[in-house]
Amino acid sequence: MDWSKQRYWDDIEVGDEVPPVSFPLSIYRMVMAAGGNRDFNSIHHNSEYARRTGAPDMYANNTFLQGMWERTVREYIGLAGVIRKVAGFRMKIFNTVGETVVARGRVKRRWLEGTAGMLELEIWCETSKGVSVGPGTVTVTLPRREAPGGARAAC
Amino acid sequence: MDDDWKQAWQPLVEAVGQDFSEGKRYWGADCVEKGGIRRFLEPLEFDCPLHYDDAIARRHGYGGVIAPFSSYLSLTIPAIWRPGKSVFTSAEPHAQPESDNPIAGIGTKLAPPTSGYFATDLEIEYLKPVLLGDRLCRAGRKLLSCEPKETKVGCGAFTCWETEIRNQDDEIVALLRLTVFSYNPHPEQ
Repeated sequence: MDWSKQRYWDDIEVGDEVPPVSFPLSIYRMVMAAGGNRDFNSIHHNSEYARRTGAPDMYANNTFLQGMWERTVREYIGLAGVIRKVAGFRMKIFNTVGETVVARGRVKRRWLEGTAGMLELEIWCETSKGVSVGPGTVTVTLPRREAPGGARAAC
Repeated sequence: MDDDWKQAWQPLVEAVGQDFSEGKRYWGADCVEKGGIRRFLEPLEFDCPLHYDDAIARRHGYGGVIAPFSSYLSLTIPAIWRPGKSVFTSAEPHAQPESDNPIAGIGTKLAPPTSGYFATDLEIEYLKPVLLGDRLCRAGRKLLSCEPKETKVGCGAFTCWETEIRNQDDEIVALLRLTVFSYNPHPEQ
């Protein structure tokens, strides 16, 4: 990822694609995710335990999936973009080990709030079974070309 | 008879609107530190420099390296083990630590006992960046809804909880609404 590139609000159109990011789910990765986000519920790293709870296999936890949305959105909005709100983050089917989760989206809405360039991105995750998370929305701020130095980042 | 499990949730259904926090703050185990952020980023292969490069973060208007937004909930999780406690007391392969599970949803005596749970829905509004050295807590546990339901995995209820995430200066950094499905798996499973 080339973080020196920055998108500007002025250049975005409703319907633009938020490029997909793929997350293959191996056991190794699931264990690292549990350690990294401290959700040690065994349903997220232990197949037998997960099956006892009615799930088809161990599955990605909500924080790991949130992180997939964040990376996908951040790679789109760049370092000067600010994430304001996540809504409609609904985990519809289990994102199980052995699947590749693909997070992707599109620009749903574009408006100004005062001088701030706002976007509403529609984001979702897919696996081989269909849409697994969302579609929900992530509201972000992007810098504007006409604002000297770009819009301020920190919220 | 078939609806007994549903009836068991009625006390919680009637408690919708109640704040179960009793004014307590639930603090994360540690202050935000670089190693914790790295471990969060690794499984995501997420290389955004705002989360590890101080100069770049400052150049973009922050007071230094910031935590990933999606890590806020993790940063409020308390320790599973503390000095003087013993939580790993069984060699049974699937034994769980003898500890209040810090991520098992909201404990309340009004809900019937359940053995399974998972998060289903999340809405979060970010109000303030979280910097290295900050420490986060959850404040408030207001029950917004309780919907008993039988699903593919078992019988239980979807409960939606509203919580503020605050920092060490008592500033609200995020507003969170989290829905959890707490359930007992179907017997045949």
